Amino acid sequence: MTEEALRAHDVRKVYRGRRGAGVEALRGVSLAFRKGERIALLGRNGAGKTTFLRIASTLLVPTSGTVTAFGYDVVETPERVRPLIAVVPQEGKPFFHLTPREQVYCYLRARGFSREVAQARTEESLANMGLEDVADRLSVTLSGGQKQRAMVATVLATEAPLMFLDEPTIGLDPFARRAVWDVLRELTRKGSTVLLTTHYLDEAEALSERLYIVEEGRILFEGTADRAKRQIGGTLRVSIENGGNHRDLFTSFGQAVAEGTALHVITEPERVHEVMDVALRNRLSATVGPVTLEEAFLTIVGRSIDAE
Amino acid sequence: MAFGLKWSGSGMFLATEIRVQLHEWLAIVTGTLTPGALLVFVAVLARDLLPITVIGALVYSMFLIGQRVLNEAAYIRIDHKLNELYHASPLSPEAYFVGIAGGMLVAYLPPSLVLVAVLEILHPLSPLGWLVLFASLLAVWAVSSTIGYVVSTLFKDMKTIWPYSALLTNVFGILPPVFYPLRLAPVEWRSVALLLPTSAAASLVDGAVGLETLTTNETIVAAVALLFEAVGLFAFGIVWARKTARER
Repeated sequence: MTEEALRAHDVRKVYRGRRGAGVEALRGVSLAFRKGERIALLGRNGAGKTTFLRIASTLLVPTSGTVTAFGYDVVETPERVRPLIAVVPQEGKPFFHLTPREQVYCYLRARGFSREVAQARTEESLANMGLEDVADRLSVTLSGGQKQRAMVATVLATEAPLMFLDEPTIGLDPFARRAVWDVLRELTRKGSTVLLTTHYLDEAEALSERLYIVEEGRILFEGTADRAKRQIGGTLRVSIENGGNHRDLFTSFGQAVAEGTALHVITEPERVHEVMDVALRNRLSATVGPVTLEEAFLTIVGRSIDAE
Repeated sequence: MAFGLKWSGSGMFLATEIRVQLHEWLAIVTGTLTPGALLVFVAVLARDLLPITVIGALVYSMFLIGQRVLNEAAYIRIDHKLNELYHASPLSPEAYFVGIAGGMLVAYLPPSLVLVAVLEILHPLSPLGWLVLFASLLAVWAVSSTIGYVVSTLFKDMKTIWPYSALLTNVFGILPPVFYPLRLAPVEWRSVALLLPTSAAASLVDGAVGLETLTTNETIVAAVALLFEAVGLFAFGIVWARKTARER
């Protein structure tokens, strides 16, 4: 196996409609990451994240381009790739008529783990996901979040070398989300590689070492969360209450984005006092905070939408 | 590993499916309702046909297992996306298909064993009768499981699939001479009936246990048709499982 966990080159996917016209879901995606990395794929709904994840995990055939996992072509040799991967599908649910304990254990056994290892990993994974108390209840009786945790526990228990997680923390409370983050960090410390999609940008920032922003089937950005934030023209945000009507006063300091009646000015630290001065002289209340990944994401994707 | 087939993990997946079904024991019990009701009708209306109807009920029950495969495979694919969990794993697509088909067979077999006991009481079977019964039921399971699995992969919505289940059950299980003897079917339909896996199986068993007189030609046609359908369709099911493990 190579040191590279995944490499995609010029991957395109067109979903053919019944009446000829197709939907171009991926338009030449290329990316690569090494073993042990945690990568987040961000994008709006329908941007192509799930399509890419499904291609990379051997569940969907691309229209063109190549994807290799640990050097094995996912299209030509899926039987070599599948033992090395595990997937949390988007909106996946556990068997409703199994308990979480049965679900995790049976899945591990079907993947070829011995009885002893499967038992030990099942207990560990259920504990990591905080499911001990409901481990012997049928999944049909669990809450939505508990079902999702059972799915995540099932997949993370495999400790597969490459894991694909499509919105794994959707519907989870903040404690449960952080529990998932902790397990993912631990797994990558042990050598697993993780590619996840999420709409929680705080999660992407806290968890991923690198992220890709996808829009309309293309990669708009690749790099760290800090680099994404630096791309939008400043590292601090001055939020001005009722500043929306005074936009002209602030545009010279940096990017000014209206949100309702408020105005957010993205600027560098050395210009913050100037922005505050103008705000106070106009009797506007203002607060200062760091730029968030969400703002970077909105700006990067927004620019792309404007350009089109 | 014949023909590149990989069966590793199929036993555990089969066991998983059995566990899932056993938690739904009411569904297993209610599987006997239709053949049971038909047996009551026949017992009241034409008692001498009862052994043939019991054989028909056995064939029908075996065909119903295919409909269980259809519903289960569609449900875990469309509603739960669990097929993705298993397809992106070392479990091969053929092991996944056989796991579901085998799991349904084992889980839903007990009610059929009751029917076998009833048959033995009504009409004790010779060793040849047992052999033909066992082989025919196995063939019907292979055919119906494959049909069920293939149909389950064709649609993206459970509601679209439900009518197909009812359609298949009636076309293969109720209309042809499964619950009634071949001799009572219209002459022009008998050759067609011998080509259908369910009526071919029922007629072969009826003939082998001495409840029906089939000509040599009819026996050969029914046996060859059933064998080819079972082996051919099951092989096709494996190819189809491999093909549909990845969307295109």
